Amino acid sequence: MIFILQKTLIFTIPLLIVALAGMFAERSGIINIALDGIMIFGAFIGAVVAFNLRKNVPFFVDHNQLLFIVCMLAAALAGAIFSFLLSFSAIKFRANQTIGGTALNLLAPAIALFLIKVFTAKDQMEMGMAVDSAGGRHDFSFVISNGNLPDFLKIFFDKTYISTFVCIILFIILSVFMYKTKTGLRIRACGENPQAADSVGINVYKMRYLGTTISGALAGLGGYVYIATVANGTASGAVAGMGFLALAIMIFGNWNPTGIALGSLMFGFLKCLSVVYSQFAFTKNLGLPMYFYNIIPYLAVLIVLAFSAGKSRAPKAEGIPYDKGQR
Amino acid sequence: MKKIVKTLFAGAMAFSLVACSNGGEAEGGSDTPATTDEGYKIAVVTDVGQLMDKGFNQGTYEGAQAYADAHGISMKYYQPANGSDATDNDRIDAMKQAVENGAEVIVTPGFLQATAIEAVAKENPDVKFVFVDGWAMGMDNVTAIVYKEQESGYFAGYAAVKEGYTKLGFTGGGGGANPAVNRYGYGFVQGASAAATEEGVDVTIKYSYKYGETFSASTELQTQIAGWYANGTEVVFACGGSMFQSVLSAAAEYENAKIIGVDVDQSGESSKVITSAMKGLSASVEQVLGQFYDGKWDTELADVAQNLGAADDGTGLPTDTWSMTNFSVDDYKALFDKVASGELTPSADVPADANNGDWLKGIDHVTVEFE
Repeated sequence: MIFILQKTLIFTIPLLIVALAGMFAERSGIINIALDGIMIFGAFIGAVVAFNLRKNVPFFVDHNQLLFIVCMLAAALAGAIFSFLLSFSAIKFRANQTIGGTALNLLAPAIALFLIKVFTAKDQMEMGMAVDSAGGRHDFSFVISNGNLPDFLKIFFDKTYISTFVCIILFIILSVFMYKTKTGLRIRACGENPQAADSVGINVYKMRYLGTTISGALAGLGGYVYIATVANGTASGAVAGMGFLALAIMIFGNWNPTGIALGSLMFGFLKCLSVVYSQFAFTKNLGLPMYFYNIIPYLAVLIVLAFSAGKSRAPKAEGIPYDKGQR
Repeated sequence: MKKIVKTLFAGAMAFSLVACSNGGEAEGGSDTPATTDEGYKIAVVTDVGQLMDKGFNQGTYEGAQAYADAHGISMKYYQPANGSDATDNDRIDAMKQAVENGAEVIVTPGFLQATAIEAVAKENPDVKFVFVDGWAMGMDNVTAIVYKEQESGYFAGYAAVKEGYTKLGFTGGGGGANPAVNRYGYGFVQGASAAATEEGVDVTIKYSYKYGETFSASTELQTQIAGWYANGTEVVFACGGSMFQSVLSAAAEYENAKIIGVDVDQSGESSKVITSAMKGLSASVEQVLGQFYDGKWDTELADVAQNLGAADDGTGLPTDTWSMTNFSVDDYKALFDKVASGELTPSADVPADANNGDWLKGIDHVTVEFE
């Protein structure tokens, strides 16, 4: 039981942070369908940084958790830069945001796979074995183990990752930022009624750039967290559709943080169940084929969206390029 | 301003096109003093999974590369299109491309390539094919190398139980349809059973083909194996190329989790690898290429299937990187000699579709929990 809760938490975190990423873009008025692509790109850059630092700087092998944070920062930076492609085309050139996002989704795996193949002759980039300053060899892993804790604490502090805490703290800070600060209010205003926002002197372009850039940074970070904790520690030019799942969670969560947190937990659990069901007597004895469990999370997305569509409160101006002249 | 940006964009697009076309040519690689005008004489056409899979493809490739380097012969590898989902047509295309590039001998690891080899070998009787993990096909330009994987599996299973592990795991690639993987698995179970009977202990083996049909690492596999470790499994036999990465990631979360590698010595990949069930891929590919270039193809290799086992140094565990303490190298050598001399013959009687637990029932002192 502890095992499934631990794994649920690990599956939830990337979804949580990437769904929040989606929220930041859409609340500012830009549809960020490119979450998946940005995740892939961030994961790739994070893996490149991890690989090189582990190989060349023994200091970081000694301080494994510090390395993780450096890699997360690198991935976030990469995601932010990559998202400029979207914001630039969508804001500056008023291009169709869905098509721009799709282009990014196609571009990211292509870039990542191409570079991985050229430099490693493999289909995936592993972060590899490394040697610390004392000459000891270490496998790639950022996991923190605390086997001696009581069961309840184990869920949060055993076999956990520092990214879990970083992401939860980021999630809280950014939610507060969005709802309790002046800038947050301005971002939201630009997603609801940019004309009105402009009329009171808010720079709509600037706010939209800000929203999309934060979005890109979070998605890139989420991508690296995903591969480092869930997906074999390898960047492979794919994140198993986690970006799209996060997009669905954002819609399910009605573009607000509480809903997103609940949605991520639910889908994290279902996603986790689809791979661990055979470990539990109850689900194993049901005798259902594994494909059934694989389908559940995605089926749940469809069902939930179908039922919640009526109550859905999307930002009113999302997807519409802002044109000052049309005020 | 707009004009400048537009020009820049156009420039970037043109550049990316150029970059792509370069990429196309870079596919595949040569590592030899190539005599390009004569093409690449040795070709390796890989199986599903990636070239550098630390296992099957890589072992074969390194054997060919070693021979090519030592004798100054040009060589190139070809990866059939569509990676893990490669079809026979993709393999045929890759082989044809190899022939067009001047290949004299094509090394093709993996039993999945049978159909493609048959087609291309018939069309090109002058090109020789080395079919690793395959069988003789009634054609004089095809030779096959098969290994007695059940022996390596047996050594690994026996060693693990003798070392003191009683909760084992086996995760195999190919979805139960890959004969080599199935032989590894069956040998592993038999070896564990033999050791358990000698020690008088009961051993449980979790046995699965569920994830890894294409021999690739996946989130699902990682979580499944983590679940095994969480439920007390001590050592997992990661039997299938890149699947090793998933098992390694799962093991990283559990301090005492151990791994058994496959095909080549994988102890360099992780300190958690206690041993590896090996087959002599590189050595035998090198040897066959040697026989070919010494002009012995017609007499020794044509339409022959070599079945290599312990007696031919085709199977075994790596003794140079030995890390087990209760089961020593000497113990292993005694066991190895028994198998090599034929005193002990692990059975290779596996069903064509092994993806069920029925054929693993009723083994002494071993409970197989099939997933």
